[in-house]
Amino acid sequence: MTRLQRTVSIVCASSALAALAPLIPAPQVKAAQTIYNTSMPAVIRVAIRENNPSGEPDPRGRIMYVEAVPFTTYCEDVLPNEWFPSWHPEALKAGAMAVKMFAWYHHLHPVTIDGFTFDVDNTTNFQHFQEMSSQPTTNAAFQAIQKLAYTKPNGEIVELNYSAGYENDPNWQYRNAQKMAQWGSEYWARRGQTYLQILQFYYQNRALMRLP
Amino acid sequence: MKRYPSKRSVIVASLVASAVAMAIPTQPQMGAFHHVHVHALHGAVAAMAPAAIEPVEQRADTRPDAAQQPNPASKPTPRARDAGRQKLAPAKPPARPNKDAGKPKAKDAGKPKASSGSANAGQTKPNAASGTAPTTPKPSPPTVPGEQSNDQPAGPESWGYTRKTAKLRIRVIDGRTKEPIQGAEVVLIETEQRFKTDAQGYTPWFDAPVIRNPKYRPMVAELHGQLGAIAYKDGYRDSIHLGIRVHEGIRQQTTIWMYKLGPADRRIEPVLYQEPYHHLWLIQLADKFRSHSQPGEGPERP
Repeated sequence: MTRLQRTVSIVCASSALAALAPLIPAPQVKAAQTIYNTSMPAVIRVAIRENNPSGEPDPRGRIMYVEAVPFTTYCEDVLPNEWFPSWHPEALKAGAMAVKMFAWYHHLHPVTIDGFTFDVDNTTNFQHFQEMSSQPTTNAAFQAIQKLAYTKPNGEIVELNYSAGYENDPNWQYRNAQKMAQWGSEYWARRGQTYLQILQFYYQNRALMRLP
Repeated sequence: MKRYPSKRSVIVASLVASAVAMAIPTQPQMGAFHHVHVHALHGAVAAMAPAAIEPVEQRADTRPDAAQQPNPASKPTPRARDAGRQKLAPAKPPARPNKDAGKPKAKDAGKPKASSGSANAGQTKPNAASGTAPTTPKPSPPTVPGEQSNDQPAGPESWGYTRKTAKLRIRVIDGRTKEPIQGAEVVLIETEQRFKTDAQGYTPWFDAPVIRNPKYRPMVAELHGQLGAIAYKDGYRDSIHLGIRVHEGIRQQTTIWMYKLGPADRRIEPVLYQEPYHHLWLIQLADKFRSHSQPGEGPERP
């Protein structure tokens, strides 16, 4: 093969590759979102949905507006509406951690619905948020876990999901589903478990981290 | 020629081998964590804790008889109890999970026991199914930590836990500006108590009754009491706030939003805000009456 032929073949090959380039997916560098490369959100965008006729935010209601709420305030105004403020302090701490990590995860994964871009809404689609509903006991639980996060062992932020569960029951089926049972957290707390043990019971392969 | 290594070389080799073996970390991940607390918590168990961990209310218990409780070894551990229950519990949710929902433990602390005839009157039953059978021999009823006596708060007082009564304070704000309103008069409807708000818009802390709607008592007792309050302030519409959730044994607060009267206001009437029931109770209520023929959204499940 002469030098000319070689040059021509190289040019042809490179042009063919260049033509194919748009078809080949570009390599994406996706780093996991961890507590080391993201900071705890300062503000979270909350979509306020229309109330139903009885005055409750309707999970299927129209989105009226999106409100920017300080992250801590948001968490404090969610916890009393999700957990009972009279529950055991350890159950409240477990709940505070779940509420916080759920909100943090969704802050990193915003959605756009009906032209509104937001992180969470104020209904049980995400977490039940009611403005100015914080209570002293639930606020204290937040203070206790403020500098901590419950993530994958490499620090990756994952959604800590939870659901009501059954009263006076360990709620093993929720553990199988990797969800915390709210009644289950109270059950274990009343039996002397700490919030970390409750979290470890319901969420496996997770670690408690101190925020950098 | 020696066919076997000498005694000295065997000893030296075994010492070296044991030193190498001891140098191998048993938990290789430990090196990856730099935080001390993670270090301490690593391997802290995905399982349950031993029964030796005392709950807050027992730690606070300084009565002399508290020290005379049977040692943890003699009473069933949570793990053992749960193992027993786990065998009984089906994989799917039980058909009537809210059988004893009418007696929430935390709420029972403050109210008188209607059925105090049994020997275990001071303790709520961990499970209605097991607790209702008087034939079950229980020579030493296990002291379940959650079953606190009436005069023990569920948590530290610095966190807002109190004894027996519910402490409540009400904050009054301007609904438009969200600024606190000073000098508003707040009336608690049930007790006819009157309070004035301070510069921060707060009334003082007061003892609030925990009143549950008796019509639900035979079915699913409300998990929190409800109160009503009215706020009056010159230049503002009257605000009626109903359904304020009240739990025994903690401090609580609520906010009343008031709206200023303007020149365009022709028909001036009170503003009502009805605080909703807690949705955990609504889930219990709906589950209570669910039938097999028309299960609707189905029982609560993960």
